[in-house]
Amino acid sequence: MPSAKSPARRVTTYKIVQTVIGILFAGYLLWRLYIVFIGNPSYGADTWARFIIAGLILGSVYALIAIGYTLVYGILRMINFAHGDIMMIGAFGGYFTFEALNAIPSPTLADPKMNFVNAHPILSVIAAFIIGSSVAALCGYLLEKIAYRPLRGAPRLVPLISAIGASIFLENAAQLLFGTQRRQYANPVVLTRGNGWNLPIGGTTVILPYTGVLTVVLSILLMLGLYMLVMRTRLGRSMRAVAENKPVAALMGIDVDGVISRTFIISGALAGAAGVMWGIHLGLVYYYVGFLPGIKAFTAAVLGGIGSVPGAMLGGLFLGLVESLGPGVLGISFQLKDVIAFGILVLVLIFRPTGIVGEVLTEEKV
Amino acid sequence: MKKQLRLALNAGITFGLITIFLFLIGFTGTAGDLLGDLLRNKNADPFIGLTPQMLNMLIFLVLVGLWAGAYGSRKSKGQTDDPWAPALLGGLTTGLVQGVFVGCLALLVGTLNLQHVQISKYLSQLLPANIKLFLLGNSPVPGALIHLVLFTLSGLAGGFLSRGVGRGGWRSQSGPKWKNTWDGFTQRSFFKQVRGNRTTRNAVYGALLLVVFLVPLVAGQYWNYTIGTVGIYVLLGLGLNIVVGLAGLLDLGYVAFFAIGAYTMALLTAPAPHHLLWSFWIVLPIGVVIAAITGLLLGAPVLRMRGDYLAIVTLGFGEIIRILSASDVLTPFTGGPRGVPSVSGPTLFGKPFSSNIDFVYLIFLAVLLIIFVTNRLQNSRVGRAWEAMREDEIVSRAMGINTLTQKLLAFAIGAAFAGLGGALFASRNQFTGPEDFTLMVSINVVAVVIVGGMGNIPGVIAGALVLKGLPEVLRQLQDYRVLVFGALLVVMMLWRPAGIIPSSRRKMEVEKDTGVTETPEEGRGK
Repeated sequence: MPSAKSPARRVTTYKIVQTVIGILFAGYLLWRLYIVFIGNPSYGADTWARFIIAGLILGSVYALIAIGYTLVYGILRMINFAHGDIMMIGAFGGYFTFEALNAIPSPTLADPKMNFVNAHPILSVIAAFIIGSSVAALCGYLLEKIAYRPLRGAPRLVPLISAIGASIFLENAAQLLFGTQRRQYANPVVLTRGNGWNLPIGGTTVILPYTGVLTVVLSILLMLGLYMLVMRTRLGRSMRAVAENKPVAALMGIDVDGVISRTFIISGALAGAAGVMWGIHLGLVYYYVGFLPGIKAFTAAVLGGIGSVPGAMLGGLFLGLVESLGPGVLGISFQLKDVIAFGILVLVLIFRPTGIVGEVLTEEKV
Repeated sequence: MKKQLRLALNAGITFGLITIFLFLIGFTGTAGDLLGDLLRNKNADPFIGLTPQMLNMLIFLVLVGLWAGAYGSRKSKGQTDDPWAPALLGGLTTGLVQGVFVGCLALLVGTLNLQHVQISKYLSQLLPANIKLFLLGNSPVPGALIHLVLFTLSGLAGGFLSRGVGRGGWRSQSGPKWKNTWDGFTQRSFFKQVRGNRTTRNAVYGALLLVVFLVPLVAGQYWNYTIGTVGIYVLLGLGLNIVVGLAGLLDLGYVAFFAIGAYTMALLTAPAPHHLLWSFWIVLPIGVVIAAITGLLLGAPVLRMRGDYLAIVTLGFGEIIRILSASDVLTPFTGGPRGVPSVSGPTLFGKPFSSNIDFVYLIFLAVLLIIFVTNRLQNSRVGRAWEAMREDEIVSRAMGINTLTQKLLAFAIGAAFAGLGGALFASRNQFTGPEDFTLMVSINVVAVVIVGGMGNIPGVIAGALVLKGLPEVLRQLQDYRVLVFGALLVVMMLWRPAGIIPSSRRKMEVEKDTGVTETPEEGRGK
């Protein structure tokens, strides 16, 4: 009986290979770090500060999207492949809000060029976030209702393929509706991209952009809010119960379908907010804008241990930092920053599918 | 009655939104043009002030309205009688609601257009010409009223037709009747004989094959190119069918192996980056072998995980390979973002393969070979092991199947087929570049396998024909191709998860699984 013995042995060789590769990789990383910082520094402290700022901002956007993946995966054990496209729709929602508000002249001010957005920047940013989030939440709700709900209980590949189809549909619907051109977000003048506080670091000044601070602060607030929602409210408790065991939750009187719907609404709203942040900070929206952030946020969710909300937050921040610091540290072209993200995805899934935080996944879940 | 009204209201809202969406993506006009081609009335005289273009669009809208009316006046679940009044009222309500939605849109868009707001800056299809067409050349208010009346009437007519045709009859009986006809057809002795008898079956296959081999002779250059593309997708589909359909491993990075085959062919035969200029016939097996080896190497660490994790990791691999091939880092080796030009084609008996016809036959031969190999594999010990593994990994392990080896084998063979497809693809196009290997190719191949019917050779061929052949036939719909493709994936999963031509075992499995809605433990990972 070869199969009775060999699995056990294979696991050990596998573990040895895994450890060796891990040690080699860690050694290489340390060596690179030594070269970059002490041996032969190629960048000054100001450049590293810029990388870190960019990474934190990007990471907080990833974290918001990653929470959506984690919530849905935790409850349905399903990768919502269209989540990135929901973020894209949120970004368009914010874009149209700004365009509409920009078209309203403000009567209260003497200057005729002054429009609503510049007269009430805070109000219009809030409006953009609310509208972007609501559109994305509605989209998430409809997506679940049309493409996922009828497939409950089907083999696992079936909803995944449906999700892929929905993602393609959303991307192309946006392309046909809004055209292929990249659109510039019309921020209020106060929040012009590139404006910010000047920090004196390493002899020069590093800009800490206002839009970036807005992104990070708002996403931390949203994540705190979500954490409170999941941990303290009735809805959060029923979400956790449904994630734990659907039939038993149903026996306890929880409306499982309703909870799943609300989960999609919440994760859609967060993705929509992330989309508006993306637009305000990075400036460009187009139909394909959600794809790469979507995949990367999924990486972040896996990195943090899929199914765990704090894990998704940490994973998002970590991935953002790695993506912006990685090419510098490893000394490779910035063209390859996506390769770093995908490489991390592959490595984490192969060597530690439970993620950093390490939620215990039974064989059935993985 | 109240129930019927609610049904009708929902149907009206749904169809109203769908109609608005169709208008916003510019489909109403395109559908009109398509009808114009069908009716051949493009150059007809205006009829009561309507150009043929407007008339065709109206016909399309009426068809949508009829469908909405029929849908909104349908019987609710468990209803046995089917009286006239609710059916008509349902159709009328549906049409009215739909008309209100579309009319409001027409009013809004028309008014904005009158005030010279440039709507097409935001919604790219709403050019003034399209808006004028939608309003039938009228000003906003009468245009909107026309839409309101049109949809109300066609909704009513839809309700009337769906209830009225063959009074009392067809709404309740059409479903079973069609099923009986279909069953009667498949159960008929001739059909059974063809399926059951080996000689007749082979004769039918032979005739089909003969037809397929004769087609390229009469088809033009363009069609042969299309046939070649379909053939390559059949190759890829059959390869992925082994991985997804038989072994049950979802691979979203399948394009990586396709790319490896193509790049092997390109780099070894093209003059540009390396000037090796090897012969096609030597490189072809090399490409297949390299793809298979890459399959083994990528598969070894990855295949321990299951289901959707595997899908995402393979997706990551596919993207890594594409980004690397497109980056400047590897430009001296792979030609970088500009690709590898002038890949050489094969020569046979001193005659170089130049036209698409030659390549079509070459691809046909490859497809036949792969069909043969797949067929033998499927019915072998290995194939049975794969299917057992797909059904239940733990049980198959208990039965003495070494699942890791079997998975690796499936992965490598699938990769080898993709390498063959890639080599042929590069050689036919005489070019290879990173743009040919986007994620969309992987998804296309997955869709070919799934739409056609997982684990089933005729299914894969049907899938490739439907997904790669049909869009070429309907060239006017080119803009909407990918949109429909996405919708098709969702719809297939909802209505026919086992595919167009399902393999009998797969069908059983899917039906069994969806039949039980409240399984205590979600089912094991597939």
